[in-house]
Amino acid sequence: MAGNAADGMDEGRLDLVPMIDCIMLLLLFFMMTTKFTAEEKAISSLLPTDKGQGAASAQQKEPPPMVNILIYPEGMTKGYQPSEYAAQLSKTRATGQVIGNAYLRIGGRDPILIKGKDLNSKGGAPMQALVEQIHQYIAEELGKFEKPGEPRNKQNDIVIQCFSGMSWKFALVVYDAVRAYEGKAGNLKYTGNPNELLEARAVSFSPPRIRDYTPNELGNELYEIIHQK
Amino acid sequence: MSGHGKSKKLALPQQDDHLDLVPLIDCVFLILLFFMLVGRLSNDQRTEQITVPPTKTAVKFESKDWGREVINVFGSTQNGDPARNTIRIGNNDFKQSGTNDYSGYVKLRAILDRIYDKAEKYPDVKVPGLMLPKVIIEVRADSDTEYRVVQEIQQILTDTMDLTNMQPKKNFDVKTLKAFVNLDFTTRKTTDK
Repeated sequence: MAGNAADGMDEGRLDLVPMIDCIMLLLLFFMMTTKFTAEEKAISSLLPTDKGQGAASAQQKEPPPMVNILIYPEGMTKGYQPSEYAAQLSKTRATGQVIGNAYLRIGGRDPILIKGKDLNSKGGAPMQALVEQIHQYIAEELGKFEKPGEPRNKQNDIVIQCFSGMSWKFALVVYDAVRAYEGKAGNLKYTGNPNELLEARAVSFSPPRIRDYTPNELGNELYEIIHQK
Repeated sequence: MSGHGKSKKLALPQQDDHLDLVPLIDCVFLILLFFMLVGRLSNDQRTEQITVPPTKTAVKFESKDWGREVINVFGSTQNGDPARNTIRIGNNDFKQSGTNDYSGYVKLRAILDRIYDKAEKYPDVKVPGLMLPKVIIEVRADSDTEYRVVQEIQQILTDTMDLTNMQPKKNFDVKTLKAFVNLDFTTRKTTDK
């Protein structure tokens, strides 16, 4: 009798081993396939179809008035020849290396310095202060070119003219500052919907000036950008 | 002697014969729940070696009715592989061997053509005859990617360049263009650690 009772107790226990096997496998799967990178976001942009990135622009007789935002390597100033800019550039960076810092300028005002290292830091105070400074500078300068009473898509186009060898971060952070300014001026709330940019002011990145990236051509490109009005 | 020689076995309670697995299961369930809630499944389209630039006006990806394709562009990777300015879509890498080599762009354009052909289309409001795909191209460029590469990608996207010499196309019919104009530049918030 006693033996029978003990058998009954054993049968009453749930065998948890297969369940634990399954859970362990699930756990292993999630551990192997998940990642904990920071969540990425997006800035939307609409490429012009009527102005083109090169081909259609050739059909236009006169370029429309536009606001140029210039980005070029730190330390370069007006008044030199292309060959001198080429020489300065080769001193600034060895072949293939990243240009560390940039100058940002609109119109005739003195440029401000953008430190590349600060932009690369993650969530640090220097980076946030730098981004704030860029936003403030862009807002002040673009305010001078406002056409009162005109809707946003009738304001002068904005073209970000960045030296081809600069890092992408400089151009994007400036584009972000322009968007912030336009958002305030046009009471736009960016949601990521592709159609919301149809009535917005045209903001574009300048197409490359050169295809042959030899030191001489890069000197020419720098000369053109630095001497833009 | 015989009485002293008998070894006494310790009589352990019967319950201890079975390990109590309940705390283990509790812990494992908690860990499982943590991974399911916090982790995101890795996506082949987003390679981990790219650190995108910080911005303030960025928003979450919003393209419920739209297709999305991600173009990764590498910056200066730690061991140089892949090389700076390498372009990647899915598992396809496009590298240029020198600045006058556009073979990578030719391959990139071939992939874009296939995406265009499959996509739902709508007419452009500004250029009669131009049909645009309902696809958002996400340019996920590293902070240290060269500006010129992102710009050249934009030119490839608009399908206005002759890829044999990267000069503007001449005498083309807009109806034949397979242009992508809706772009997202990938970024991170300035407050992200």
